[in-house]
Amino acid sequence: MSTGIYVHVPFCPTRCGYCDFNAYAGLDGLKPRYVTALLREVELAAPGWDDQDVVSVFLGGGTPTTLDAADLKALLAHLGDRFAVAPGAEVTVEANPDTVDEAKLAALRDAGYGRLSMGAQSFDRTVLSSLERIHDPDSVHRAFAAARAAGYENVNLDLIYGADGEGLDSWERTLLETVALQPEHVSAYALTIEPATPLGRKVASGAVPAPDPDLQADMFATACAVLCDAGYGHYEVSNWAKPGYECRHNLGYWERRPYLGLGAGAHSYRQDRRWWNVRPPEEYLRRVGSGELPVGGQERLEPADAYLEEVFLRLRILEGIPASWVEPGRAEPFLESGLLELDHDALVPTERGMLLLNELVLALAG
Amino acid sequence: MTETSRIRNFCIVAHIDHGKSTLADRLLELTHAVADRDMRAQYLDKMDLERERGITIKAQAVRLAHDGYELNLIDTPGHVDFTYEVSRSLAACEGAILLVDAAQGIEAQTLANYHLARDAGLAIVPALNKIDLPAADPDEVARELGVLLGRDPSEVLRISAKTGEGVPELLRAVIERVPHPGGDASKPLQALIFDSAFDAYRGVITYVRVHEGVLPSRARIRMMATKVETEAEETGVMSPEATPISQLGPGEVGYLVTGLKDVHQAKVGDTITLAGKHGAKEPLHGYREPKPMVWSGLFPAEGGDYSDLRDALDKLKLSDSALHYEPETSQALGFGFRCGFLGLLHMDIVKERLEREFDLELIATAPNVEFRIARGEEVTVVHNPAEMPTPGTYDRVEEPVVFATVVTPSDYLGAVLDLCQSRRGEQVDMSYMSPERAEVHYVLPLTEIVFDFFDQLKSRTRGYASLDYEPWGYQTADLVRVDVLLHGEPVDAFSSVVHRDKAYAYGRQMVERLKTLIPRQLFDVAIQATIGSRIVARETVKAKRKDVLAKCYGGDITRKRKLLEEQKRGKARLRRVGRVDVPQEAFIAALRVDEGASKGKK
Ligand SMILES: Nc1nc2c(ncn2[C@@H]2O[C@H](COP(=O)(O)OP(=O)(O)O)[C@@H](O)[C@H]2O)c(=O)[nH]1
Ligand code: SF4
Repeated sequence: MSTGIYVHVPFCPTRCGYCDFNAYAGLDGLKPRYVTALLREVELAAPGWDDQDVVSVFLGGGTPTTLDAADLKALLAHLGDRFAVAPGAEVTVEANPDTVDEAKLAALRDAGYGRLSMGAQSFDRTVLSSLERIHDPDSVHRAFAAARAAGYENVNLDLIYGADGEGLDSWERTLLETVALQPEHVSAYALTIEPATPLGRKVASGAVPAPDPDLQADMFATACAVLCDAGYGHYEVSNWAKPGYECRHNLGYWERRPYLGLGAGAHSYRQDRRWWNVRPPEEYLRRVGSGELPVGGQERLEPADAYLEEVFLRLRILEGIPASWVEPGRAEPFLESGLLELDHDALVPTERGMLLLNELVLALAG
Repeated sequence: MTETSRIRNFCIVAHIDHGKSTLADRLLELTHAVADRDMRAQYLDKMDLERERGITIKAQAVRLAHDGYELNLIDTPGHVDFTYEVSRSLAACEGAILLVDAAQGIEAQTLANYHLARDAGLAIVPALNKIDLPAADPDEVARELGVLLGRDPSEVLRISAKTGEGVPELLRAVIERVPHPGGDASKPLQALIFDSAFDAYRGVITYVRVHEGVLPSRARIRMMATKVETEAEETGVMSPEATPISQLGPGEVGYLVTGLKDVHQAKVGDTITLAGKHGAKEPLHGYREPKPMVWSGLFPAEGGDYSDLRDALDKLKLSDSALHYEPETSQALGFGFRCGFLGLLHMDIVKERLEREFDLELIATAPNVEFRIARGEEVTVVHNPAEMPTPGTYDRVEEPVVFATVVTPSDYLGAVLDLCQSRRGEQVDMSYMSPERAEVHYVLPLTEIVFDFFDQLKSRTRGYASLDYEPWGYQTADLVRVDVLLHGEPVDAFSSVVHRDKAYAYGRQMVERLKTLIPRQLFDVAIQATIGSRIVARETVKAKRKDVLAKCYGGDITRKRKLLEEQKRGKARLRRVGRVDVPQEAFIAALRVDEGASKGKK
């Protein structure tokens, strides 16, 4: 069965205020041991997965490019030794603009990382600083040019919309600058306020306004229009790609194919079981150091859980769900109000429907 | 039987927090009624609820022995809701200690209770408490009290209930200044029920004051108002634990175990006499049915446990003769009960007991008063805004009014007068107790008090003004029913009866409040306030456009699924009004008038 491997690198130069990923600034001293631990975890985890066809590898974070290219190379080589990584597998590395230059990118490409996902977030200086990102728009241009120069032909740009201070105009300019660069893939996320983050606390205390959902809805519509005009296909709520450049690794999550997660806090999934590694890097190091799998928790998916996941993931990737899955009468109001449409016997969300996906999921599967 | 000349029956009247309970503790100690090791603070406040709220809901009587005298300390409830019960407790006494905090001075309840005590013909023993406090100003407060009582300030005793200073002298003054009771052991029995309680094991226990004759244990007795006959299973006194004695003689105070199963058979204010030909011909005067003043609909929060609510009310009623209830059906809230209460505090106590003792979750509609609707000669009484007929179908509406006493520092007098005026008050009089403190009397519609008067009073006077009031009859008023419609559907639970001049403002306020409480739906929801067919306010909750999780990758899937499940559970708790889903919390928040209406007052 085709499988994905995810590797988590929890280091960042600084922490962004909105971020609730398992990411840490100031732990750079742990990097050498962390790389060793990852190699070790590959050994520990590989048994039982050797028969799986690995079609994608994704190095995410955090900021994986804070590690040396040599380490990243060794890691990928080791994965190749231990797993059946298919020839032509999609291998992605995430990068932040200020952590890469042409030399490093060339080295990564050489090592086998053929797809680059870059955290651009915005081309508006005030938005970047409101997000507490350390880079500026020029860094994005520079890093993108470096990627092309290094030979990258499959690049994603990540964008975030709806931060405090961003209006519809500014967002549209960010989109236009993005498509001007002609990346193969674009992810655009509505800024979500997570309570347990510095930004979450500022919103709770009223120091920063919460994003306006109506403005975010308008921004979503703008993204759909601009990206579609520029030839990108909308294939998941927050993802667009030039034909053939859809992210295979992420599609694996949404199509409920198995994945193995390595590194602090990484999640894995296979059949009816999902499990996750311990989150704090020190604990992860300790566990792996003593030769155990660093599993921190797990859940077994009951059929009802699996069904709910299947429904909401299928709706997310616009594959839709067969009309026959839904009790008669439930979908009609949404077909009438234009939130769903029927595409050969499948109920598929419209652009407006995608923004109300939670409601749709609960109405159809709840 | 103690000779009447050796008996003193008295109570302590005071504004809340002026130290009544603390003084009662000192008196118990001083007379050795409670061994020191058994002394627990505020012995006389019995129920947990009371202890927490710091109030005394149920009156109780304790017999103290001192210097060869039998002293009966009768505890009176301190809150306006229970004015009638206060008056019955006072009727069991010949004297009252008027206790005033020497740092706070005279407050509205001091005045209201003083007037009740004076009207009941009691000898007043004035005392200043808390003289140990550095902030105490006993000379000034004694002067104010002197003016109030028309007596020399030197007659005002000075004590500290905390340290005990002055308490023996106070007890002496009670013996000297309070007259002993009258009564003749050979006359037919007349005993006043001034309190009753329900005990799960022993049934109804009444607290009685014998006025004439003798009440022997095991006698066959009759309640003169309810005409119920039963056996006096046990007579006794609280000293302060229940101690059976063979009989209660004239002038004495004690308890009586009736063997009855329902407090409605032995009502406060009723007269007990002997059954058969030895019974008295006439009852003691002053019996009155307790009359609910404030009404509210109580509904089970999550539908379905209507029968639990009914059982709980049935049980509660056994120990609360003032509670009224009748079934009510609301389109929005389902099956519940329209309940009548003596006042806002009584309402809160009942709600809290239902939630705490019976583990129910309730939604209460905004409290309202009763209205009398006159068509020619015919008068209908309505306790539910939803039953208020449409304008033009009746001649006039009458609403209850109260006589309100407000005591305020002079600095806030202007604010108090403005408030009373804006709440349709009619000023009766106004006077200064001292250059710093003023006393005003107003006749106010009860509905205004039930709305938010007390909170407004507290906030406009920084908590310094105090309020007391008593029922004062009815007045004709230009009242209209304001309805609230969601997406065209009237929500009966939100209907309210208000004065025409305020209907617009009220409608606006409700509509604006609901706008923040009704979650956005998949379509625009109109919220309208109407009087009859006229729309007086309108807002729209715009359709929601975005409800989606931005990201969903490997690690997020479990979390996102859980979020969806939670959202699903949330939906299950919504109530449907027409096509609109309304969360429980929105009902609760929209119906909340203002929290502290009774709590602040205690
Ligand atoms: N300093 C001082 N505090 C007192 C005195 N008497 C009562 N208190 C305090 O005043 C508060 C209210 O007293 P309490 O007896 O509960 O008042 P009640 O509401 O009239 O029964 C409590 O915190 C008492 O401890 C006193 O003589 N001196
Ligand atoms: S760079 Fe990304 S992972 Fe690192 S702190 Fe910022 S948002 Fe989080």
